[in-house]
Amino acid sequence: MLRRAFTCMGTEVELVLRADTGAEVLPRAEREFHRLDALLSRFRPDSELSRVNHLGSCRVGPELIEILQAALEARERTGGRFDPTIHDALVGAGYDRTFELVSAGVVAHSPMPASCGGEVFVDEGDSMVEVEPGYRLDLGGIAKGYAADRVLALLAPAGPALVDAGGDIAVTGGSWTIGVETRDGSVVLELDEGSVATSGRDRRRWSAGGEDAHHLIDPATGKPAEGDLLRVTAVAATGIEAEVLATALFLAGDVDDAAAEADVLGVPAIVVADDGRIVLTGGLA
Amino acid sequence: MPNHVARLYAAAGAILALFLAWAGLAAHPWQGDQKTTVTTPADGQALAAYERRLRKDARLVHRVVRRRGAEARAARQAAAAAAQSGSASSSWSPAPSVRVVTPPPAVAPAASTKTS
Repeated sequence: MLRRAFTCMGTEVELVLRADTGAEVLPRAEREFHRLDALLSRFRPDSELSRVNHLGSCRVGPELIEILQAALEARERTGGRFDPTIHDALVGAGYDRTFELVSAGVVAHSPMPASCGGEVFVDEGDSMVEVEPGYRLDLGGIAKGYAADRVLALLAPAGPALVDAGGDIAVTGGSWTIGVETRDGSVVLELDEGSVATSGRDRRRWSAGGEDAHHLIDPATGKPAEGDLLRVTAVAATGIEAEVLATALFLAGDVDDAAAEADVLGVPAIVVADDGRIVLTGGLA
Repeated sequence: MPNHVARLYAAAGAILALFLAWAGLAAHPWQGDQKTTVTTPADGQALAAYERRLRKDARLVHRVVRRRGAEARAARQAAAAAAQSGSASSSWSPAPSVRVVTPPPAVAPAASTKTS
């Protein structure tokens, strides 16, 4: 078993290759993660995403086009619950720098809502992206899944592989057991191919003006989502879909609504409530 | 001094003189203090007019983009409302096969609320 661990995209990333040879692919996979972070991070002033946010309209590379199209498609599919234009709402909630700095510092003001749902025009032919004035992009809700998918594809030829990006996990090539934390212990899943992602309010949280705030913005209100959900874990075919579905189900707001929606969509999911109640749904029960 | 050495020195001196003359001419010494060009009132007015035109164009572009944004948003909201009021068919990829190896200590199975 070959492993490589590093920090990227504000989280701990682990690559696992179930093989005795092929170790040379691991540094390449790590470089790919860092390269994508440099492209997609809103915290890096030199990233392509930051350039779009600064200019509002500009030419971009094919990868940003690809991930933006995926994000906009995800917005359509989730009825707007997943939204890449939540940047200003995140900043308003106090998440205006990396989470390391936010958690180390003090956010003096209460969360200030900001409009979401801005239009984003992507012209693949001209490689142009145009964001409606007054809105900016954040791809934090999809970037890890996108990177996990890309890096998994790099590792797969070398053997059964697993990519764990801060709990957003993509696997291929064999039987993998994945533990999902709950208040009273772990739920262990077994998966051969696919991805598992979790959205929750218990990890990236801070105090803003004395109020609890977290990073899961409800685009309908422009503020951190409220409700009785603590965490939602979704299983899907790709890292992007798992991440988007976990967010969208979390933003259902209510444990029963989230569980019912996952069941209707056929999405295997683990829904954890504030009071510790756990619901397995979408075929997992 | 042998002739060829003298000729070499003469050639080097000529090249040096040529270079110095070139540098001297490039410095435009006849222009004097006018090198630091002072913007005349006419230039300033032209620049100000150009800036006003650019700002006007920018406002027009913003109006166009906002209108496009509003139209696209209305269309998107209508499509989302239509999708939600219709059958709850999933447009997601089929979920992979997954098995629960260790269930949580207390599990409440979801109530199935499949809609037609």
